Amino acid sequence: MVSETKKSKIDAIIRASRLIMRMNQANPASPKSEALYYKMLTSYYTCLLNAHDEGKFIAAHTVFFPSEILYAMDIVPMHTETTTWMMALFLGEQAEILSAGAELGLVPEICSPHRGLAGAFSLGALPRPDAMLWSNLICDNTAKSGELIMEINKCPGFYLDHPFQRSETEDKYFLGELEDMICFLEEKSGQKMDWDKLSKIVQRMDHQMELFREIGELRKTVPSPFPNRGFLQLLTTDYLCPGQPEAIEYLEALRDELAEMVRERKGAVSPERFRLMTLFVPPMYLMGFLEKIGQEYGVVSVVEPLFTRWAEGRLDPSQPLESVARKAAMIPERRSMYGPLGQEALQDLVDCAEQYKVDGAVYWAFMGCRHTCATVKLFKDLLNEVDVPVLTIDCDIVDPTINSEAEIREKMEQFFELLEDR
Amino acid sequence: MAIEVTQSNAVMLPTLERFRQINDAFPKTGEILEHKSKGGKVFGWLCTYVPEEILHAAGILPVRVTGYSQEMELEDGNAYLYINNCSFSRSCLQMGLRGEYEFLDGMVAGSTCDGARRLFDLWQYYIKTPFHHILTVPRKYTGKAHDLYYQQVTQFKEHLEEFLGRKIPDEQLINSIEVFNRSRALLKQLYELRKADAPPISGAETMEVLNASFRMPKETFNRWLKDLLEELSKSSITHKGRARLMVVGSVMNNPEFINSIEAQGGLVVTDELCTSTRYWSDPVVVEKGESPVKAISKRYLNNFPCARMVPSDERFNRILNLVKEFRVDGVISQIIRYCVPYAHDLPLLRDRLKEVGVPVLALDVEYGTSGSGQIQTRVQAFLEMIEARKR
Repeated sequence: MVSETKKSKIDAIIRASRLIMRMNQANPASPKSEALYYKMLTSYYTCLLNAHDEGKFIAAHTVFFPSEILYAMDIVPMHTETTTWMMALFLGEQAEILSAGAELGLVPEICSPHRGLAGAFSLGALPRPDAMLWSNLICDNTAKSGELIMEINKCPGFYLDHPFQRSETEDKYFLGELEDMICFLEEKSGQKMDWDKLSKIVQRMDHQMELFREIGELRKTVPSPFPNRGFLQLLTTDYLCPGQPEAIEYLEALRDELAEMVRERKGAVSPERFRLMTLFVPPMYLMGFLEKIGQEYGVVSVVEPLFTRWAEGRLDPSQPLESVARKAAMIPERRSMYGPLGQEALQDLVDCAEQYKVDGAVYWAFMGCRHTCATVKLFKDLLNEVDVPVLTIDCDIVDPTINSEAEIREKMEQFFELLEDR
Repeated sequence: MAIEVTQSNAVMLPTLERFRQINDAFPKTGEILEHKSKGGKVFGWLCTYVPEEILHAAGILPVRVTGYSQEMELEDGNAYLYINNCSFSRSCLQMGLRGEYEFLDGMVAGSTCDGARRLFDLWQYYIKTPFHHILTVPRKYTGKAHDLYYQQVTQFKEHLEEFLGRKIPDEQLINSIEVFNRSRALLKQLYELRKADAPPISGAETMEVLNASFRMPKETFNRWLKDLLEELSKSSITHKGRARLMVVGSVMNNPEFINSIEAQGGLVVTDELCTSTRYWSDPVVVEKGESPVKAISKRYLNNFPCARMVPSDERFNRILNLVKEFRVDGVISQIIRYCVPYAHDLPLLRDRLKEVGVPVLALDVEYGTSGSGQIQTRVQAFLEMIEARKR
């Protein structure tokens, strides 16, 4: 049974999501995709809320996790970082969950979403998972966050080890890891893997990846049709609902709306003055601000190479598990932030700047993310070589106490002046 | 009140002084320069998951890349790695950028933590040492993980052979295993001495020995260490402290940090550092019919684990064993800011140690720190607390 406290937190996310959905539906100018996005979100959290009451098995998992496997096994996934962000975004409870993380002994240098999720579990703000699943994709924080959560929830867990590089042996190792995880889940949940279901999910996932790529292509258009606020929605779609019908429905609607805007030569901001590359993730709580300042200055983010640039390649439903493994290597974050930073990845960044005709880049230097910040100087050097100036803003993606909106506005305005002068 | 030394520190152990001289001259030590002058190659390695025996068997002098042995302004390190990467990686990079490792012919790392892998990326991009290699290091100990790591070590050897234009024969690998195992056995002997009520060597002095061990040819190091052990056996020097302490946590090279603890009477009798116990603890065991590369890869993955490994219980159990063996009264956890793997483990480790009645002092430090006034105050209070518990 889900306790009342836990129920209320997840329920509050659902209520907030439903409210936005209704507001979108009531507004004739609001695109259909917006309502579909919140419908997807509502559905995800409703399943989570009701899971234990319906006798379902909940598996909590960290970011960039192949939750396609969970869906195929009829296990209810709980994306830990995203759920923590949602609580922060919708409920404004960052301070409470971060201080609970600190009480557990997690120091401020640990990435805030991971401190937050441990804090959220210790507060009982998230449903107690029946199993904890975690991996080293993408960093030491994800690799090390699972055991404390297992301890807090007194639940079993499985650590999924992603090899650092790609080779036949490493791919085989990862496939073996997935097989071992399925065995673990079958044993703990008593549910069997439904391979036909996984095959269908893979088929949809393949389509979903095509949709992401199509959306990426549409954003190359001048003016770009995609709004600044849409970035977070694209991320959460794959994080929460990979290969799920709700995700396809949302992405198809979004793709069609963007295509229509391209045909009509409409931009997300009008007039479009500056096209930006976004490096890493802006603070979640500033999404509204970024939309506003974008409209005010005619600034639009057209590409996020670390998060929305999917690798080319297809998935094969006749080889579902191999495809899940392949997808794990194709996700933008895996390509750009994990594995050795080779010439190919660096060239891709430069190509991206040219293909999307960017005027400047903003690097959101999230202080909890060490491995990405280590590329600030390198990326800046590379982009400067192709005449793209870079603004770096130190921030925290969930904690609003690190810097103020006014401070960020001032930095961005100065940057826009610089772009104007060029 | 400092640890009680029964003979004046002015009476130096001659071999210990030689080890100190190596560390004082590092990175451009006489031994390294001599090796280079004879046409030998010198490779830098990062992290204890890099199998040094492979380099040694290829006739290369392996040198551990470390940062400044004191707390420094890290302007270049901050600019290139950003301020939120650990000061160890920033310190190493700064030394590299400033040409202090210009003698290196190669750089080898493992995908062990975010700091190490990004340090390797930037080293490759900006410093351009002729040879670069990074090994995928699994975080598990399963059979499949061992197969993968064996393949990685094999691939590393092949890459090296291609670079050198010659093969590394098994006989040379066997010889290197013997040399390194000899080193490990001698270091174990040194640590055994520290189990005594009043050991003949302090924690800070031991760190001098360890630092030198990865900055000079192993054969010479083994000879010197054997000499030191003989000197210690004949010496009447003893060290006695108010409490027997163990230091755990992030990479650390500065003996002054240990000295600052010992200056207050906390005798550091053992540790769980990658620059100390985790470096030497397990020998390479070549089973009958097993290839030396297989034996090497097995040892490096199974060795006393870094906090990066999963599950953490293996690391915790080894720490608990050391606590028992060395009769540790208290544990000092020193974690470099932004050293995330150790930071995540700390709450769990603290619980395990609490279960056996061992208190923990958790210090957030910067790499190279010698122990500030604030640290000294906290150590002092920790020692008083331990003494009060004993009464």
